[in-house]
Amino acid sequence: MSNQVIETRALTVYYGKHRGIFDVDLSVEKGEVFGFLGPNGAGKTTTQRVLLDVFPPTSGKASIFGMDCQKQGVELRKRIGYLPGELALYANMRAHEFFKMYEYLRGENGSKGYWKELAARLDLDTSRKISQFSRGNKQKVGVVAAFMNRPDLLILDEPTGGLDPLVQRTVLEMVREVKADGRTVFFSSHILSEVQAVCDRVGIIREGQLVATQKVEEMIAQRINRMTMIFEELPVEGIFNIRGVSELERGEKSITLEVTENLPEVLTIAAQNKIMDIETHNLGLEEIFLAYYSKDGGEHV
Amino acid sequence: MFRLLIQELKFRLNTTLWWSVGLSFLPLVYIGIYPSVAEEMANLADLEIYRAMGMNLGTFPDWVGSILVIFLPLVAAIYAILNGTGTLAGEEEDGRLEMLVTLPLARWQIVTAKALALSLSILTILLIVSLGSMGVMTSIQDQIDTDLTGIELFTAVLSTYPLVFSMAMLSIFLASFCANRRFASLIAAAVLAVSYFGSNLAESTKVLEPFEPFFLFTYVDASGKAVVEGQQTGDLLVLMITGVVAFLLSLVFFQRRRLTVGMWPWQRSKVPR
Repeated sequence: MSNQVIETRALTVYYGKHRGIFDVDLSVEKGEVFGFLGPNGAGKTTTQRVLLDVFPPTSGKASIFGMDCQKQGVELRKRIGYLPGELALYANMRAHEFFKMYEYLRGENGSKGYWKELAARLDLDTSRKISQFSRGNKQKVGVVAAFMNRPDLLILDEPTGGLDPLVQRTVLEMVREVKADGRTVFFSSHILSEVQAVCDRVGIIREGQLVATQKVEEMIAQRINRMTMIFEELPVEGIFNIRGVSELERGEKSITLEVTENLPEVLTIAAQNKIMDIETHNLGLEEIFLAYYSKDGGEHV
Repeated sequence: MFRLLIQELKFRLNTTLWWSVGLSFLPLVYIGIYPSVAEEMANLADLEIYRAMGMNLGTFPDWVGSILVIFLPLVAAIYAILNGTGTLAGEEEDGRLEMLVTLPLARWQIVTAKALALSLSILTILLIVSLGSMGVMTSIQDQIDTDLTGIELFTAVLSTYPLVFSMAMLSIFLASFCANRRFASLIAAAVLAVSYFGSNLAESTKVLEPFEPFFLFTYVDASGKAVVEGQQTGDLLVLMITGVVAFLLSLVFFQRRRLTVGMWPWQRSKVPR
């Protein structure tokens, strides 16, 4: 039996110039937290909306739990909790009325009243009208609504937006608990630290195209080293012109390099040129992500 | 779907009550003042300007027909347009529809629940106004010279329902068809205005005669005779069928609608080459 929860094949949505997604091949496995990374307008929300059948793809296919997102959408959505990036709520309702309505519309699935526990955990006063809530509290309402039926798949679009750091931490804990429970989370965000904190794998979407999918630790463990070498006398230009090495900056007596391979050769050349000191650091997810969005699209990664 | 219908009715409860109270002022004022203006109105019976507006004020049933049977659905249709376009296009624009369509509900269920809720809301409003009209009439019955009974007045006012229903369904259809709520509301309002003036002017202008069947108000007889004897069944059926057809079209177009994108149906997406 397939372990895949989400699967898209050549998924394309085109709705105007410079917008949409193109040939997105995604695969999210059961029990994982999949981080979907990309800046605003890259196509994260579009992908989620196709998965939830808010609109159909122009071409390609999307399925969840082996069921077609367009043809079996109703069945699928019984098992999905969704937090949209642009949350719109019924302003005149009190939060508890909203949750009861949501519970009522979803139908009974054994999680009746679970929203109370979640709301208490997020310190949300459910007796107040939604219109009186701050942005952060409205976001809490959205988070509770997404988690409240204990879905098999959670699709979260920027779940911590507007939340204070303490609540952010609680939400991330909740995501980890969902994973520990063997359920799946599709976690869309551009906040890299939280993706690094909770996700097993990440997909990076750039201008509507999925440019990389990798395990978080593998991505971080890639030998992308940035090093600054200080020399007695600055070596001639082009001395590090070898495969996998980019010269980022040249100072009075220092050179900063980004090294993805041939590290021993770099060190040999440095030693032959009277190196005095060396500072290195591994790139975090953020820098790797930025590398993908650099001018050359991170081809060196 | 039943759950959604209940929810939609709850959402409309306050609006329905307020519109009922507001519209009840129409019979309260216009039927209430009739005894004091009856004589004066009888003298204005044949004025051309009133005819152009579909009005004939000669007798009490004429007065009821001209004021209530014509103006009540006109005002109630504004509620139908506001609510009909707001319920799909409005909610799509403010983002609430996205929350709804991502619940385990089929799109046809969403449209049907919203259309049913709106239809019931309109029926409630008109029932309350009809009852109000009957009540006001009972209170002035001894001051006016008419054979019209309270029940006949109740039926006459309530028989405006098919017209408002057809406008409501037309609005829901436009909300599922148009790119945004603004266009949907504008078109619905234009249909209402053209129907009203078109059907009235068609009686006195030959140019408009061929278009008369297309004006919804053509199927509402505002004469005193119709107030007493009731609207023709055929006319009521035309309006109800128009509403049902508009509803069916809204099902088709909403099913195919690319929500949150704000596109017209013919703006089909194509992959650039």
